Amino acid sequence: MSGPIFAVEHLTLAYPGNRGRPAVPVLTDVSLEVARGGALTLVGPSGSGKSTLLRCLNRLEEPTAGTVRFDGRDVRSLDPRELRRQAALVMQTPVLFEGTVRDNLCLRPAGTPGDFSEARLKEGLIEVGLEPDFLDRDAATLSGGEKQRVTIARALLRDPQALLLDEPTSALDPPNAALVVETISRARGARRLSIVAVTHQPELVRRLGGSLVFLVRGRVEAYERLDGDAPAIGDARLQAFLAGESPHAVSGQP
Amino acid sequence: MTSAPSVIDLSVWQLGLALLLVGVVVLVSLRQGLGLERDLLVGSVRTIVQLYLVGLILAAVFSAARWYLVVLVVAVMTAIATQAAVSRLTKPIPGGHQIAALALTVSTAVTLAYVIGVVVRVRPWYEPQYVIPIAGMILGNAMTSASLAGDRLQGDLRSRAPEVETMLALGFSGREAVQPLVRAALRAAMIPTVNGMMTVGVVQLPGMMTGQILAGSSPLVAIGYQIVVMFMLAAGTAMASLLFVRLAAGRYLTAAHQLRRYLL
Repeated sequence: MSGPIFAVEHLTLAYPGNRGRPAVPVLTDVSLEVARGGALTLVGPSGSGKSTLLRCLNRLEEPTAGTVRFDGRDVRSLDPRELRRQAALVMQTPVLFEGTVRDNLCLRPAGTPGDFSEARLKEGLIEVGLEPDFLDRDAATLSGGEKQRVTIARALLRDPQALLLDEPTSALDPPNAALVVETISRARGARRLSIVAVTHQPELVRRLGGSLVFLVRGRVEAYERLDGDAPAIGDARLQAFLAGESPHAVSGQP
Repeated sequence: MTSAPSVIDLSVWQLGLALLLVGVVVLVSLRQGLGLERDLLVGSVRTIVQLYLVGLILAAVFSAARWYLVVLVVAVMTAIATQAAVSRLTKPIPGGHQIAALALTVSTAVTLAYVIGVVVRVRPWYEPQYVIPIAGMILGNAMTSASLAGDRLQGDLRSRAPEVETMLALGFSGREAVQPLVRAALRAAMIPTVNGMMTVGVVQLPGMMTGQILAGSSPLVAIGYQIVVMFMLAAGTAMASLLFVRLAAGRYLTAAHQLRRYLL
């Protein structure tokens, strides 16, 4: 199999306006590809549509126009629940439900295939750098970083083909963020996972490599390939953005 | 349930004396600077006018005793209750009017039919003296519980959207993902009714029972009816809030198991 895992073509998304007001454009004519086993990072100022774009990939959002293909197939032709198992989402703020870590790892719809045996659950925790005895911990007592690693373990236990990460480190302090970056890189190496990440964490961008898309006001402003250990980012606006300058100054707007 | 000879018919003068009670409230409002005088006056006038109009209409319907007039009155009451239920929501629910109308119509019709036809066995079934007050009680409570449930669901969808979307992202259906919120909304809507069943008659005598006793019924007859009313209200509110919340939750979900966040 060689085709891209995700192919987004001319994707546009606008929310219907309230009470006859005009529609609110969120994404405009976005096209991109994610290679199988590859990575793509979405960056851009807040409100630029990065999360919305990510959520179009597992069809939590419905584009107004354009297509999203997963593994060569239009996502509209797939059962969204199966698509979401194959393309697992990890959100910025980890959501764990009442119960133990085990309850949370095993949370799945009836009939979900996969190995949820005790041994596998323990392996899953080790894979994200947590002790196996975490299984019986009350989920509510975990720290933010531990919670995030449990949600990553929960996603990986379903054996997804792709991992969608929505700012997975931005709610964490630097040491925990570093652990999560480490976890993601390791899991990717071991499993040949495709990864699409919204992140401002330079370390995560560097470790993922692949491509980088710079979104401003829902449009692709720059689309770069970062190959090798020290990516040469050609686009001046993108460089400035990653260096922390104001996105509005960067894109030439007041 | 006909009025016993001992009932004192109130004269206009007696109603005027009752109005003095509002005068006391107006004085308090003026003294304490509550600024409620205007509303109190408007409220008093509306109370008098609305109730007299309703009294005239009911008197006409009662003496005509035609089934279609009774159905018409109940339909108008349902329409007003629908409007009131929807207007109490903090933020409009898309298609809220149709949902509320359906929930109130079905819950009232089913409960009313059971109480009138099976429990009390009113003959003829459209006897307005029974149908209209009973329908009014069911509707009033169904309306309150439906809007309580809807409000709670809306608030929870806003504050717990990440939970819902986590469930969706894990492959659960839309219905499964909102189930905990639906449950919380139903509990919130049912609690006043259940609490009412716990304290009825101990803390205060319910309005209907009071009315029957004042009208000369023996307290034991009144209690019989009140028991029926309590159970009927429990059924009516449960049905109305369940239908309303289920349908309303559906409005926030798509066939592709997506949460329509922009509506929240």
